[in-house]
Amino acid sequence: MSGVVLRVQDLSVLRGGTPVLEGVSFSLQSRSNTALVGPNGAGKSTLVAAVLGLLPRSPCEVEILGHPLGAEGQLPRSVRSQIAYVPQNLALQRRFPLAVAEFVGFGFDSPGPRCPWHNRQGRRLAVQRALERTRCADLGQRLLSELSGGQLKRVLLAFCVVRPRRLLVLDEAQAGLDAPSKEQFQHLLLELCGQEGWTVLQVSHDLDLVRRNCDQVLCLNRWLRCSGSPDHTLSPERLSEIYDPNAQCGSYRQHRHG
Amino acid sequence: MPNVGPTGSTAMADPGLLGEPFMQRALLGGLLTGALGGLLGSFAVLRQLSFFSDALGHSALLGITLGILLGINPTVVLIPFAAMIAILVNQLVKYSALPTDALLNIVYSSSLAAAVLALSLVETYRGGIQQLLFGDILGISWRDLGVIGALLVGALAYLALSLRAQVLLTLNNNLAGSMGVRTGWRQLAFITLLAVVVAVSIKAVGVLLISAFVVIPASTGCLLSRSFPLYVLNSALLGGSCALVGLLASGLTNLPSGPSVVMVQFLGFLAALI
Repeated sequence: MSGVVLRVQDLSVLRGGTPVLEGVSFSLQSRSNTALVGPNGAGKSTLVAAVLGLLPRSPCEVEILGHPLGAEGQLPRSVRSQIAYVPQNLALQRRFPLAVAEFVGFGFDSPGPRCPWHNRQGRRLAVQRALERTRCADLGQRLLSELSGGQLKRVLLAFCVVRPRRLLVLDEAQAGLDAPSKEQFQHLLLELCGQEGWTVLQVSHDLDLVRRNCDQVLCLNRWLRCSGSPDHTLSPERLSEIYDPNAQCGSYRQHRHG
Repeated sequence: MPNVGPTGSTAMADPGLLGEPFMQRALLGGLLTGALGGLLGSFAVLRQLSFFSDALGHSALLGITLGILLGINPTVVLIPFAAMIAILVNQLVKYSALPTDALLNIVYSSSLAAAVLALSLVETYRGGIQQLLFGDILGISWRDLGVIGALLVGALAYLALSLRAQVLLTLNNNLAGSMGVRTGWRQLAFITLLAVVVAVSIKAVGVLLISAFVVIPASTGCLLSRSFPLYVLNSALLGGSCALVGLLASGLTNLPSGPSVVMVQFLGFLAALI
């Protein structure tokens, strides 16, 4: 399938009356792998939350698979079920009595209330397959709270792959991993992207990984400073502009307000 | 009528007392209240709402006092009052910059103080402050049992049908939202349900011990379970069975009922910990 999977048009978000995001516009083509980069506090996680419909904003600024995202995050169930999200971390206590296979099974059902035993056999087979594909086959009966950081990230990918989806959003999913684990995670992500045909939007601080693996980069610091290929956007000059909050302020205001 | 002590104790050294209707109602009430506390507690503990149930319990005293002052059945006042306090606390936590535990402390200590001041205006209260603080499970009526039973069935159905949403919400708000869970409404619905459960259980358990019914069986269940549905089931079963054992022990030893149940819960927790 081709076409635009995600379109964001002039998106602004206010927090306590202060603009956190201003006039952000971009679109993601099907099967593209896009990185969202920028300094801490640039609004990357806010943008992700807005795109997922988790923040109040004006309607019609975001379109997913051709459907406008409502002001309260409403989307048709058929569209909502096409979105997968990998958070930075989970609120796991020292002991959280949820087995890995159970967690991955929660990703299998489409949105809405249902009996826990609905389509039990289908879910069990899908979970088993998802765990195998993410090299977690031996982790099914372990508790989520017993996993290492790298294992937990792979399980989160199993949660995404347990059912076909089109848009995958990762919010600093590799944070807290050591270098080899990051490489393994990225390798697995690319492998699954190839198989599943996911369109990816990933927030990342690792510019080397972004340079090697992504085909589009969005440089954000409250507004979109620049976007394009990694070679174009991640040059030293561009990076110094992105990570300096005042560098492009004048030209942006000029652009916005004529 | 049984010889009820100041803190819900009963002179029940005679095992024949088990055949008395009031004792049977008490045992059934303990079983249902314990199971309800364990069921809701299984989610409350993982969402770090343990202190919230404590605050609700203490605030409930103000609701009871208002009922007494207005001449209305305190139980009728208590349910909407507890739900209102829960919604108020939820909004305070959401919009205030202060830490949650500090806010909860402010709410519960000030409502407790207001309740004690208001109670001092009441010349005579038939039940007495001891009964409010420690509960009176022996005074439980068939109507109370009906309400608790209906609430248990309702809570069980709601949590079973929304199990995925509840677990995802517990793990990560954004993850739940991305899966189409209306996170704000779900959170509000859960704490309102918790508030209603606390309000309904106060008569049997008392203001001071209600949080133990929510927290201890669920914590024990957490230590013993390696599957989420099993954890919820274990918490409810532990809650119910500890209440039953505690009440029987209380009857046989002539000790106060509420504290006896909590001690049985605590012993169960210690056993699971070891």
